[in-house]
Amino acid sequence: MISLTISNEMKLKIIFISLLILAGCQKEDPSSSEHGSDTFYVENNGSSMRVLTEGNIAGKVFILLIHGGPGASAYIYNTDYISENLEDKYAMVYWDQRNSGASQGNCNGKNLTFDQILDDFTKVIQVLKKRYGNDIEIFLLSHSFGGLIATGFLTTGNNQNLFKGYINVDGSHNYPLNDTLTRNMLLTIGKQEVMNNLHTDDWNAIIDYCNSHAGNFTQHESLKLEKFASQAEDYIEAVKHVKYFPIILGTSISGRYPITSVLVNLLYSENSDLNKEISTKEFSSSLGKITIPSLVLFGKYDFVCPPELGLDFYTRISSREKKMVISPVSGHNLIYQDKELFSREVTDFIEKLR
Amino acid sequence: MFRTLVILALISVSNICSGQSHSVSIVSGRKPAIKLSYNSSLIYPGVSAGAEYMFKEKEIVKQKRKSKQNCFAREQLITMNLSWYHHSGFHDNIYLTSEWVARKTRKSGYYSEFSAGPGYSRTFLGGTTYRVGEDGSISIKKHAGYNYAVVTTGGGIGYDFSSRNNTPVSVFTKMNLILMYPYNSTIYFRPVLELGVRLNTIIFSEIKHKDDFSDNFK
Repeated sequence: MISLTISNEMKLKIIFISLLILAGCQKEDPSSSEHGSDTFYVENNGSSMRVLTEGNIAGKVFILLIHGGPGASAYIYNTDYISENLEDKYAMVYWDQRNSGASQGNCNGKNLTFDQILDDFTKVIQVLKKRYGNDIEIFLLSHSFGGLIATGFLTTGNNQNLFKGYINVDGSHNYPLNDTLTRNMLLTIGKQEVMNNLHTDDWNAIIDYCNSHAGNFTQHESLKLEKFASQAEDYIEAVKHVKYFPIILGTSISGRYPITSVLVNLLYSENSDLNKEISTKEFSSSLGKITIPSLVLFGKYDFVCPPELGLDFYTRISSREKKMVISPVSGHNLIYQDKELFSREVTDFIEKLR
Repeated sequence: MFRTLVILALISVSNICSGQSHSVSIVSGRKPAIKLSYNSSLIYPGVSAGAEYMFKEKEIVKQKRKSKQNCFAREQLITMNLSWYHHSGFHDNIYLTSEWVARKTRKSGYYSEFSAGPGYSRTFLGGTTYRVGEDGSISIKKHAGYNYAVVTTGGGIGYDFSSRNNTPVSVFTKMNLILMYPYNSTIYFRPVLELGVRLNTIIFSEIKHKDDFSDNFK
């Protein structure tokens, strides 16, 4: 039997150290941080969707991002540049849609529908307000396919009143029109490039395909046009060509990407029935309902979502406060390709409205 | 990563396939062992603990030129493992697996192995999880996560110190691939690197057998 005697002084020291350790374990209130990084999940109908809020949370101005895809992840938008130039002023909210990024679940593929994504989005906003307070100001930012979700949401009921403003970057609000405009742009610019003897073989293959597919595109044809549109950007010298892979790889460790989850979710979503469903979706006819301030940013050489599509959005919305900017050096990824313009325009837009 | 896995698998499979042996002797015996390992994917920490039980062992002596002999043992084992890793912001995963292991141990003490087996996984999401009711009420779900069926496969190398002296310890490194289903209606996979030690419990219970095994290599 060993007896231990502890002096009073020692006891006080132990209590003091224990309190210090406990204080260190206290979680910081996420709503009070100016350089916060706060991850939470929203569970809805078979999916737990990751939401990451980063930046100046205490400032109460939130930018809620709807990523592209279907199946891309919000992770890829969380670049160092955005961290340094937007997150210092605002809280960026990176939401992984169901079956995307770090979102998790079991057999939930049958729930991957457009209406379900809109329902998910409603609940994400409700949770955001619950977590950070009803007094937060939310700006909606969407990219590419996210534009379809955003316009679907904003044109329903009074949903737009949840936001101070909307930023549409390279977004699609009308998939059939999108296909037609992509084809037209591929033909117009393709012929110019052939006349200038630039990438002649590549462009001729694209032109031949476009000439033999004039309209009423099937889902397969639509995907083929999208593939050509992505390639076409690479043939334009004026475009700022960004090597995305090193950027994503470089931030994957610091950003704690679940790389294989991002990959399998992307592969699943890309081949899901959702693509068939959205191939006929259009919101052009209801864009007049949108009255909130809007900023429209498109790349001049975006063949995937051509600038004319942005113009269709811009002219149809009823917002008094609206602005459209076309980046002369961007294709479909303006957020990367003209990051200075993106950051500047977004900041100006928000500062004018807050 | 993938290339490393393929190489390890090929090495291990080649070990399973018996070459032409000049002399094969069956050694009966049971060598229960326990293991503890660091169980990591890149920067994400974890731990794995388990027990293994040998159910088959063959000692093989191959006659080489110049009257040299190549002696090694082929063992087949069943293991039970309880593993965990922590991926901040994504999930914590606790998984129980049972694996079949084929191991080739050389006289020098170096060994290589291949394993595969089924299991069960329970994940815990890497953040507070909210549920929104139809009436707009918001609640926090405790211990939110998912159950998955698991298949693991892997290959590794190690060194058994008991080949040189009676130290019942071996060290090993092993690359495993965890497959989880149904993950968002598809299969989630994750490479995991193990660095660990094994302790042969034979030293406590069956020292006699251990001595016999060592003698066979002399």
